[in-house]
Amino acid sequence: MNHQQLIDLFLCLGIMLLTGRLLGEFFRKLRMPLVVGELLAGIMLGPTVLGQYYPDVTETIFTTKGTIGLVLSGITSISVVMLLFAAGMEVELSIIRQQGKTALKASFVGLVIPLILGFAAGHEFYRFFGENNADNVLVFSLFMGTAMAISALPIIARTLMDLNLFKTKVGMIIIAAAMLDDLIGWILFSVVLGMMNNTQSWGFLYTLAFTILFALVILTLGRFVINKFLPWAKRKLSWPGGILAISLGFAFLGAAFTERIGIHAIFGAFIVGIAFGDSVHLNEKTRDIINQFITNIFAPLFFVSIGFKINFVENFNLAITLWVLLLAITSKLIGAGLGALWGGLSWRESLAVGFGMNARGAMEIVLGLLALDAGVISEQLFVAIVVMAVLTSVMAGPMLQYLLTGALKVKVNLKELNPLNVND
Amino acid sequence: MSEVQSNPYPFSIVAVAVAFSPRIEAILAESKRLQQLFQSRMIFIHVGDKNIQQEEYLKHLLHRFGLDGESNQLLWEPEGDPVDRILEKCKELNVDLLVAGALEKESLVKYFLGSVARNFARKAKCSLLMLREPGLQSKPVKTIVVEGSDHPKTVKTIETAVYIAKATQANQITIVQESDVSKMALIRSDELSDGEVEEHKEKIFEAEDKRIEDILQCTDCGALKINIERLDGKPGYVISQFARETKADVLLLNSPDTKLNLIDRVFPHDIEFALADLPCDLLIVHPKESNSSED
Repeated sequence: MNHQQLIDLFLCLGIMLLTGRLLGEFFRKLRMPLVVGELLAGIMLGPTVLGQYYPDVTETIFTTKGTIGLVLSGITSISVVMLLFAAGMEVELSIIRQQGKTALKASFVGLVIPLILGFAAGHEFYRFFGENNADNVLVFSLFMGTAMAISALPIIARTLMDLNLFKTKVGMIIIAAAMLDDLIGWILFSVVLGMMNNTQSWGFLYTLAFTILFALVILTLGRFVINKFLPWAKRKLSWPGGILAISLGFAFLGAAFTERIGIHAIFGAFIVGIAFGDSVHLNEKTRDIINQFITNIFAPLFFVSIGFKINFVENFNLAITLWVLLLAITSKLIGAGLGALWGGLSWRESLAVGFGMNARGAMEIVLGLLALDAGVISEQLFVAIVVMAVLTSVMAGPMLQYLLTGALKVKVNLKELNPLNVND
Repeated sequence: MSEVQSNPYPFSIVAVAVAFSPRIEAILAESKRLQQLFQSRMIFIHVGDKNIQQEEYLKHLLHRFGLDGESNQLLWEPEGDPVDRILEKCKELNVDLLVAGALEKESLVKYFLGSVARNFARKAKCSLLMLREPGLQSKPVKTIVVEGSDHPKTVKTIETAVYIAKATQANQITIVQESDVSKMALIRSDELSDGEVEEHKEKIFEAEDKRIEDILQCTDCGALKINIERLDGKPGYVISQFARETKADVLLLNSPDTKLNLIDRVFPHDIEFALADLPCDLLIVHPKESNSSED
């Protein structure tokens, strides 16, 4: 890298972080996810806006080409691995188990229906969604299914917290079901990516078997090793600072291993994240340090850089976007809603579960970008997925508020009407 | 008004799992103390073929500890799985409390396969007292640690702790509220400011405090000293660690809602943290009224 390239790179990183943060904060004030601002920063700095007036700047500084592009691509890969590690840390196996059958049902139906509808839509209308290679239909359809199936845990959790419903039965069922859907969704997506990049020509079942085997080994033996290792590290290393290096070190090793055996790197990081997150030796401060590091430094760089890759205006296709939106919302509402209804919740609470799990958030964008980079989807479909991820996340809060506070009011009134409840 | 308060002796029928181990005398000595404490009818259950020598020995021990009264019973159950046999008997005889000796720690293999005492904890549909270090001599109960989680069973567990503290003249009870901080981190990852996080936390903590206050208001605590501790960390693990660090004499936990199996050891259920490494004597409180809903 020469002198000028270094200057360009630091300029690029500095402006990415600053604009991403400023716009992110603006949207946060509007009670919208930070990632909306970060995406918008990328769109403004990339070919969509700035490139229209100053193409030289977007070609040399905010670019995906040349040396800077290579460095940004490396940062993006690191960010994705870290984001998946953080997503893994959010999955808490004990919550899933504790919430029992209702969560399992909500999760199962909430996963299977979007998966089937997404798969069917991808399979039948792949040309409409921009996939022109008939040989890739299976992988493309699996991607569509997975993209419809995953949920955004932090958005769901925050919404429930804002509404004071985080610790209620419905709240915990939503959280547990979303966690399980994420776990299965990312396993599936790793298989899809593994099939795309497979150099060892393993079939779907072999890739799936390896993926599940890896997950089982890390979640049993790996968790055991981590639980033995962390107390030792706590005594011998600076703490909680040392945990950053240890946890991310393990995440990268997991990523390297899964990439080596033909499953995508993200899966190694995700599963290692679950194993770490489940440890009894991680306290709030430690989790917070890891989260803050990832979500405030690497996540903005990743989400801003998306805007450099694609012209969002040129690739916006209203028809595809509307169909993706319709498919995503209806499949999740029907799936998660029916699951919750089957689990014994009222129709109103079930609909709330559906809207809660309908939020796709930042991880949907990660999923979309990985698929775009792997050549599974077109740029137009990627833009549609970004729009869908943002809109479903934004609508979750108001819909939950409307459905759940209404439902609670009914309960409170019933309690007030029944004098026997006062002293028992 | 709770059953514990209306019934002065909540453990009126106590079963003791008897095995011919080196600790049999200590277990019987503890049983005698429990009988006096709870005014209970005692049932001693042994699983295995009847053997005249062993029967004579056991009768001799029961006589020695003054446990051979008419109201008490000695049952020999035929060969079979001791856990299932004893639990079947407990159900049949409507036992309130099952008492068993337990090692502080099992080997990893035995822990996963499941020892008798630990399997009682995983399957019992009555309260269970696991005695970690039963002794011939009486040890005073000074400190009691009790679970304060947000669960309907917690009310009965706290009431039982108060009852035991009064009966044993314990110095204090500590109710532990375990804050599941991992969920806090989950929310924080959605870019909340410090102030917002604290605000959310305060709301949750206020609700938790109110819940415990309500339970204590309905429980006749008398002059008993009751502390409330809020601990951050994994539920089940932190209370177990706290009981160990504070050298508690007995730890009271809610019984699991369903029978626990191997999965609950691989991905530990809250109670498994205490079972993996018993911090002190462990009393798992199982409200009888919950049996109908769990069966």
